[in-house]
Amino acid sequence: MPKAMGAVKQAVPAEIGGERDAAIAGRRAAGQAAPTRKSLPIVEGFVLAAALLAPLLLQDYLTVFATRVIILALFALSFDLVWGYAGIMSFGQALFFGSAGYGVALLARDLDITNIFLVLPAGTLIGLAFALLLGGFLLLGRHPSSVIFVSLGTLTGSYAADRLARGWYYLGGQNGIPSIAPMSLGSYEFTEGPAFYYLVLGILVVVYLLCRFLVRSQFGLALAGLRENEQRIAFFGYKAQHLKAIIFTIGGAIAGLAGSLYAFHEGFVWPNMVGVVVSTQVVLYVLFGGSGTLIGAVIGAVIVEGVSFWLSDNYRDIWPIILGLLLLLVILFRPLGLISFVLGERERVGSFRAKPKDNVKEKRNAP
Amino acid sequence: MANAFVAAFEILSFGAIIVLIVLGLGIIASMMGIFNFAQGEFVLLGAYITYLAYAKGLPIWAGMVAAPFLVGGLGFVLEALIIRRFYAAPIVAMLGTYALGLIIRESVRGLIGGFYLTVPEPIGGSIDIGAMHISAWRFTIIVITLLVMAGCYLLLSRTSFGLRMRATLENPSLARASGISTPLMYGATFAFGSALAGLAGALIVPVFSLYADLGLRFLIQGFVAVMVGGVGSFIGPVAGAGVIGTLSAALPWIMAPVVADVLVFVLAIVFIKFRPQGLIAGKGV
Repeated sequence: MPKAMGAVKQAVPAEIGGERDAAIAGRRAAGQAAPTRKSLPIVEGFVLAAALLAPLLLQDYLTVFATRVIILALFALSFDLVWGYAGIMSFGQALFFGSAGYGVALLARDLDITNIFLVLPAGTLIGLAFALLLGGFLLLGRHPSSVIFVSLGTLTGSYAADRLARGWYYLGGQNGIPSIAPMSLGSYEFTEGPAFYYLVLGILVVVYLLCRFLVRSQFGLALAGLRENEQRIAFFGYKAQHLKAIIFTIGGAIAGLAGSLYAFHEGFVWPNMVGVVVSTQVVLYVLFGGSGTLIGAVIGAVIVEGVSFWLSDNYRDIWPIILGLLLLLVILFRPLGLISFVLGERERVGSFRAKPKDNVKEKRNAP
Repeated sequence: MANAFVAAFEILSFGAIIVLIVLGLGIIASMMGIFNFAQGEFVLLGAYITYLAYAKGLPIWAGMVAAPFLVGGLGFVLEALIIRRFYAAPIVAMLGTYALGLIIRESVRGLIGGFYLTVPEPIGGSIDIGAMHISAWRFTIIVITLLVMAGCYLLLSRTSFGLRMRATLENPSLARASGISTPLMYGATFAFGSALAGLAGALIVPVFSLYADLGLRFLIQGFVAVMVGGVGSFIGPVAGAGVIGTLSAALPWIMAPVVADVLVFVLAIVFIKFRPQGLIAGKGV
């Protein structure tokens, strides 16, 4: 870990400067504070530009693939909010993604409701409701739950939902629900293609900006504190469990939104969508990209899916092995993900509008 | 009467299989504080080694004997190279072992393809008691499980190795000060846990046949069993495995299998929520 951090310092010395817990940034980092160049907005702008131009440069079938990736990036965002900012290991994020997918699929199949202004809020609400139920149960209570319990609890929830979906005839059993009618707006139908792509991209940008605002607010600051030292935050008088439940529910809502988009884009839902496979997939995206940065989650989803798509023609069989190896290397040597190559610690955590110098002084004077 | 007996035997033999799989998981979780996501893949490797022995024309029991040693050796190496770095952070340990498991699982999938490969039972036939027939191999699994359980218990409670292991668990710094090599003990514990998984895989492969997701099927059941039983002791996870195994085998007899499947997990999570220390709290054997 210290070795890895040393590498970061050499690469972007100007970015490192925040006085942070020694375990994260290293004590020597303090005092070098004078970041003038910000790389986060540059990265974000670059990603946005690439995303805007993509359909113009890509062939049609690749635009369809890119749409799927954008939806998965939205899903990854929800996990990053929960794990990267609040430190809640939600190993069952697909539960909210998939149940919203199933929910909107049932709406379309049984009630013929495909209006975009009805199905997307419905999917979001389903994700929110499931997350509120599961998160409320796992996180709230007289005794704070252990990290292990929450992660295994969410994993078990996702696995149980998978089994239920597989065995329940009403939900289509093993085959899921095929041929869902396309999402509609009046008489216009959203089918795969550039229109769907820009719709999804627009939603991603809006949600991203909302998340960015959220994590840079006082609430987000408290969350980051939770992740670093839960006990200290509790001693400050924050209701740590409530904060966790709130962010978990917000994450569930975003996952639900992504799930409903995914269901309509693919045109079918199947049990894997609520299960362990997709749950771990989203963990991979965020770990690769870099947790706790939002943009890292998006980049991770794009890279993992992109490389997997690119390799799947020739190396379909060994790709999961390579993925496992890469994941292991990232965990061992770059726990902050690929984004940490360009993003410093201060930007990752956020300086919350205070000038870096004042910030350091303030902290020193604090009791 | 005969039906009830057959049902009881089915429940008992499934419970024994779960106990066998959870033993290794429980020892690693209790003694080292790591939830090993690669445990299912160690089970898979044990099964695969047995299949290899069978496919090469060797006697099946030879593969079954070799499996725990080979998987245990692999566990020892992996602990020294990789797992050792994860002790400080349990969540990172989960992710790291998950990545390891992914590598092993996909490698095996590459080797066997998407097939279900069968391995015959080394002890075939059935045991007849009056008009009832029970599978001889499943009966053997129950016997071996009991023996392994007793062996583990004696190893941990009666030998100096077990004493050092428990000392390392309870107070690592004092153990080091007393001249116990804690890194070696961690390595040995992890190897022991993986060897048990290898043995479990070798024994169950004739019952479930070999496929790449074999280990995954039991992993979550195993985790839930460890949590229900209580982390920190040897007896806890075994008790939890007994409860979970019995419930998952017994409930489908009285309700729709789908509902039973999910109900076991829901009950288990609710139980852990309100009794986080598990069935059997406390450290010790």
